[in-house]
Parts: sequence; structure tokens; C-alpha cells
Amino acid sequence: MNMKIHTPEGELMDEVVELCSTAPLFSGGKIGVLENGKPNAGLLLTEIAEGLAERIDANFSIVTGKGERANAATACNPQVVGMLAEEVQLVLTGSAD
Amino acid sequence: MNDNGGMESSSQFLELSDEDPATIYELFESHGWGDGLPLVAPTDERVTEMLSHVKASPEEVITVLPPRGGSATYRAVAVNAVLAGCKSEYFPIVVEAVKALGNQKINLRGVNTTTHPVAPLLIVHGSAVEELGFNSGLGTFGPGNRANATVGRAIRLVLLHVAGAVPGPGDAATQGQPSKYTYCIAENQKESPWEPYPMSLGLNSESALTIHCGENPHNFHDMESENIERILDKGASVMATFGVNNACISGGEWFIILCPEHALTASNQGWSREDVSNYLFEKARMPAGSFREQFNLLAWADWMKSLSDEELVPMTQKVENIKVLVSGGAGKHSCVVPSWGMTRSVTVPI
Repeated sequence: MNMKIHTPEGELMDEVVELCSTAPLFSGGKIGVLENGKPNAGLLLTEIAEGLAERIDANFSIVTGKGERANAATACNPQVVGMLAEEVQLVLTGSAD
Repeated sequence: MNDNGGMESSSQFLELSDEDPATIYELFESHGWGDGLPLVAPTDERVTEMLSHVKASPEEVITVLPPRGGSATYRAVAVNAVLAGCKSEYFPIVVEAVKALGNQKINLRGVNTTTHPVAPLLIVHGSAVEELGFNSGLGTFGPGNRANATVGRAIRLVLLHVAGAVPGPGDAATQGQPSKYTYCIAENQKESPWEPYPMSLGLNSESALTIHCGENPHNFHDMESENIERILDKGASVMATFGVNNACISGGEWFIILCPEHALTASNQGWSREDVSNYLFEKARMPAGSFREQFNLLAWADWMKSLSDEELVPMTQKVENIKVLVSGGAGKHSCVVPSWGMTRSVTVPI
């Protein structure tokens, strides 16, 4: 006999987040690295940023951590986010390992 | 509207061809749902019965759970409680646990997504233990008791289905751990020489629930000692290890789950719960230089950073991070449950 059962997943929030449009002309722009606190993250992300800067004719500008008392499992300090927003047009970062 | 008063949408229901337990098992597997074990079919009748134990609209959102950002509505939580095999009278406990997981102190996004093996340990306190049949005695961590097993499992299913903490896309735990199936115990107040654990935090409630996000229990046994120092030295030796996250993150908590006989030994010497914490804080230490040899990154409190290599460093930055309570039955085994590190336990009334 057929029966109906409930699905187990909760609905996702209705909020729609749109991705920002791709910068059409990045030439001459600045790239920053937000190091997430995991071992060698800064090293890896800097290598990528340098390679990317060379490839798209941009400038590799800055490497920063998440700020005082922040670590790999916590959010980046708002001051650091603000600083990056002012200083660079593209930020590379990582999640977990 | 459905019988629960909530809005029906086609995505809320699935057709099941029959009531054979293997049918839902295979259907859920085909959707990538479930914890790998057989499930109870969440029929409307069972979900409605579960919801009858709370005064809330089925579609009311209890909290939103990361990383997926799924809405933990009463309905969604009830569905998972049915799937887990909960009796409907357990449902208010499951709801309070989900609410507590939404507390920012838990840092559920980190708990769910980290590579570290961490699971929310539920500890039930007070009159709810006896009223609902939780096992606070012999074998409290399991197996064999329906309340412990299914309430813990319901939380895991909520984390899998609503929070999206699925190994791979939503849970990066390198090896996982068995307590990611179910992890629920109860405080053995009848055999505890001390006040209820929630009361030690200033919470005077008939029943309460604690959530501590931690590793599996690390056992320590002492069958022969007649003084608590010798027993706790073994607990301290279990704590003083480089392998846990708490070794390099000094803000981490430790739950010390003493068996009744070890607790009685402490009490017979006039020791309070705080005395046990103080002793472990002093004894579970290693030289600062050894930590520096072992770790490139040490998330230590400022006062710990200034210690010389020869000085002993405790396994947590303050004694209040060592929590003590009694659970389990006869036999002289206790355990230590280290936290993930970047999480704080929460105790709430129920």
C-alpha cells in the first residue's frame, strides 16, 4: 500500500544572495591574501596570488591574517575585512585545510 | 494546510510504496539521507504525534543550522525524531537541544565542518532523566537504552539533514568518530555526592540539558586506590596529551565524567566538585617547552605565552574550563571528554 512520508530536510531560507559581477578589466588591480590560520595557508595562497597577478596583469598587494584573537575556526575581524575592502579588489582566502 | 496546521508543499512529502522497513531504508539511501542505519518512516500520523508534545506551529523556525543554512522548524525536527526512533514524549528534549545548538557559544558551523572528530554530547539532568527513562547508570554512553540512543541520534539526523553536516560536502572530519551516530548520557544525580551540575552553574531548574561538543570519551580506570589523588592522577595523565585540540587551544573545556565510586572516594575525603577541578588543573600539566616543540601554532592565553620552557602549562587556561559531573554505574571507570577547542558548552533548562 502506498503511503506518504515527510521529507527530513528543513527548507532553506528565502534570502537570495547574488554573486558580484566579474570585474571586466582587472588589469592594474590589486590582489590580497587573507590567510586563514591553517599551516602553510599563507604560503599556498601567496603562491596562487602571485601567479594570478602575473597572469592577469594585476598587482599582488598584501597578506594578512584574520586579526587579533581570530583563528582558523572563527570569523575574520571586521576591521580586517574593512581594510581589505579599501586596499584591494580581489581577496584570496581558504576554508579549513 | 495539513493535519499539523502547517502548509503542505510537494517537497515536504515523498511517496513510499509500502511499509516494509527496507523500503524507506533504500529510499533514503537513494536521496543521500540518513546515518546509514535503518529508519522509522516519518508518516504524518507519527510526526503529528511528535508535534503534540510542544505548543508551537509546525512551521515555526527554532533556529537556522549551518553550514547548509537549513531551517530547523518544529516539523523538520519532529520528522528527524521519528526517523531516529524517539518516543514522542522525548520530543521536547530534542527541541531544546536544537535550540541550544543555535547558541553562538557552540560555534556549530565550526563543530559541523571541522576536520576534527567532534560531536555534540547531550547530558540530561534532573527529573527528566527518570521520567523519560534515560540511562544515567551502568552503560550510560550505551548501548541499549532507547532514550539515550534515539535522542542522541535525532540530533545527529537533524545535523545531517537540516544542517547539512554530511561527510564530504558539509562535514570535513578526517576520520569521523562513533559518537557522530549518537551521543547522549544523563547525570547520575542519585549517586552523585554533589549538587546537580546545572545548579553548580547557578541554574536551578527541575530538569536541564547540557551540550558539550567534544571528542569520544577517553577512559581512565582505577580499581584499587582509596584516595582520590591517586585516581585523579590517572585522569590528569589522560588529559596531559599533545594529541587533542585542547593541547594547542587553551580556551578549550574538559568534561570529567566520574563514575559514582570515584566520586564517592572524593566525597569521603571531603572533596567538592571544585576541588576535583582544581586538582586536575594543577596536575594535568606539561612543560611549556614541550608544547613549543610539538606545535608551530599555539592559541594560548597571553599569560601562558610568557611562561619559560621549563615551567609547567595546564591543559586549559582557567580552572573553570574543567567541568565535573557524575554518570555511569558500578565499576571504577571514569572518563575525560576533551572539547574541539573553539566551542563552549551550554546548559539550558528544560
